[in-house]
Amino acid sequence: MNDRPEVFRGNRIFLACIYWAFVLYVFVPLILMVLMGFKDSNFIGFPIKSWTLDWYTGVFADAEVLSTFGYSVAIAVLSTLISIFVGTWIAVLLEGRKFWGRTLLFGLAVLPALVPGIISAIAFRIYARWLGIEPGMGAIVWAHAVHNVPFVVLVVMARLSTLPKSQIEAARDLGADPLISFIRVTLPYLVPAILGASIFCLLLSFDDFVRSFFLGGYEPTLPVLIFAKLRSGMSPEINAIATVALFLTAAIGIWAERFTRRMNKEN
Amino acid sequence: MTDQTTPLVRIEGLSKHFGETVALNNLTLDIARGEFVTFLGPSGCGKSTTLRILGGFERPTTGRVILDGEDVTNQPPEKRHVNMVFQDYALFPHMTVAQNVAFGLELKGMRKSEIQRRSAEIMSFLELESYATRYPAQLSGGQRQRVALARALAPDPALLLLDEPLGALDAKLRGQVQQELKSIQRRTHKTFFFVTHDQEEALTMSDRIVVMNKGKVEQDGTPEELYFRPASRFVAEFIGETNLLSGRMRGSDGDKIVMDWEGTTLLGKAPAGVPGEGQPITASVRLEKLGFSAERPQTANAVQGRVVAKTFLGSRMAMQIAVGENGALLKAYVDADTGQSLGSDPVWIGWEPDNMAVLND
Repeated sequence: MNDRPEVFRGNRIFLACIYWAFVLYVFVPLILMVLMGFKDSNFIGFPIKSWTLDWYTGVFADAEVLSTFGYSVAIAVLSTLISIFVGTWIAVLLEGRKFWGRTLLFGLAVLPALVPGIISAIAFRIYARWLGIEPGMGAIVWAHAVHNVPFVVLVVMARLSTLPKSQIEAARDLGADPLISFIRVTLPYLVPAILGASIFCLLLSFDDFVRSFFLGGYEPTLPVLIFAKLRSGMSPEINAIATVALFLTAAIGIWAERFTRRMNKEN
Repeated sequence: MTDQTTPLVRIEGLSKHFGETVALNNLTLDIARGEFVTFLGPSGCGKSTTLRILGGFERPTTGRVILDGEDVTNQPPEKRHVNMVFQDYALFPHMTVAQNVAFGLELKGMRKSEIQRRSAEIMSFLELESYATRYPAQLSGGQRQRVALARALAPDPALLLLDEPLGALDAKLRGQVQQELKSIQRRTHKTFFFVTHDQEEALTMSDRIVVMNKGKVEQDGTPEELYFRPASRFVAEFIGETNLLSGRMRGSDGDKIVMDWEGTTLLGKAPAGVPGEGQPITASVRLEKLGFSAERPQTANAVQGRVVAKTFLGSRMAMQIAVGENGALLKAYVDADTGQSLGSDPVWIGWEPDNMAVLND
């Protein structure tokens, strides 16, 4: 780096400025949101004259918030399990094979990720009514699962493409039929990808508002509840809920990232 | 079925086409029990295709593979009594050494106690006991290679396939592992089918070498036969270093071939049959078979020349000698003392007809 010509120096300072401006742009709103959760007042805004933890104790005492949180987690877990199963299956079917219509199938498998949320939410709503599926948990799980499948397909396919052919051949050579070699060799190799994709799906589902809003019944998910509370006025309670959710998802995300990276290194 | 006199493997008219390319062209040969046979050749010669057909990873376009009296041509790999050491070892990264070794035994449906006994036995045979609980990522290249060998030997296969298993090792380790492999093969009395493009590797380990070129067998014989009596120019050039003398066929004298080369008459042997009279022919003489003397030597072949270059190689020296009016070059290895004593005076070079192979081009 040091032997780079001087000319680049100005450029580097410029790039550093842009980088830090970007970091501020991303983090200042989050920091503000976190700060407001500690404000001892019913209204959001500066100046903060006194501080309190009441909003947080309120959040953990609020039965509605807690049950909504549980509901969101349940939806996230169920939809993730479905996405992982279907997505892995599609990835195994598509990766490393050449057959007629492969590109089309791949396109179809990835399409749900590209459809704008509002459009897919409305489409799901119409389709669910047509099928006679009641709005509620089942419908939300279904919509989240479909939306998340492409991410699983992409992540698992990427990992699968790095599996040396000789691994499967070695398993076959030692007496494993195709199914056993899949279970004992391919699947363990995919574990880091499947774990990574799971975390991503969990967070996507937990975070989703549009699909949950359109397909939900009477019970709101956490984002829908926050939205409902917002309509009755901004209060630091919302900041407290959001802050808890933020730290939880961030913690899971960072842990998953480190975990998958370590697993990839070991292999 | 285990009649010891019948060959273990019969390959009958095996061909493999990949689209337009012919990877293997009508190969027929037998492999005896307990033999260390090496398929040697440049990449694309058909050696790996043969190995993969034996392993069950490729189906031949035509032909049959008979293993122990049974036609296995269309059997999948898991049904065959054949195991393989892969070029990249293909150890399972999520399993320990012991689990890797036990994998084939588990799939044979052995009892747990039997699996443990057998894996312990094979791991101690290959001196792997202390690594049993390690993962492949924690092992060195040589250790991985031994684990791959242990895993393939554990199910007690009738035939062991080895796909260039030494390619990933550094030169020093390779020599050591060559000796080890050979001794393991002797002690287990297993039939080894070894594939390599490294002629030195083939010469050190094999009982028999099959030299392949363009999907066909160039020559099939012991390392000594191939080295000293190559049947074709390809074999002579591929195995070791050699002098190729381009001359003209004059006739035969008993079992010897008489040829003209650079104004001298030379005698040689023709392992692959006698060429027609007056034809241009090529003969091969190994570098270390040329003897030097100040006076005309007693050998049947003798030419006079002048040393034009010497290279000191430690225990020996490489010489280049210009011979005849056109200054045709001969290369030779001599011991360092002889090499240093040779000056710019004309020198005689002699060799026996047995050491000169007349080749088919």
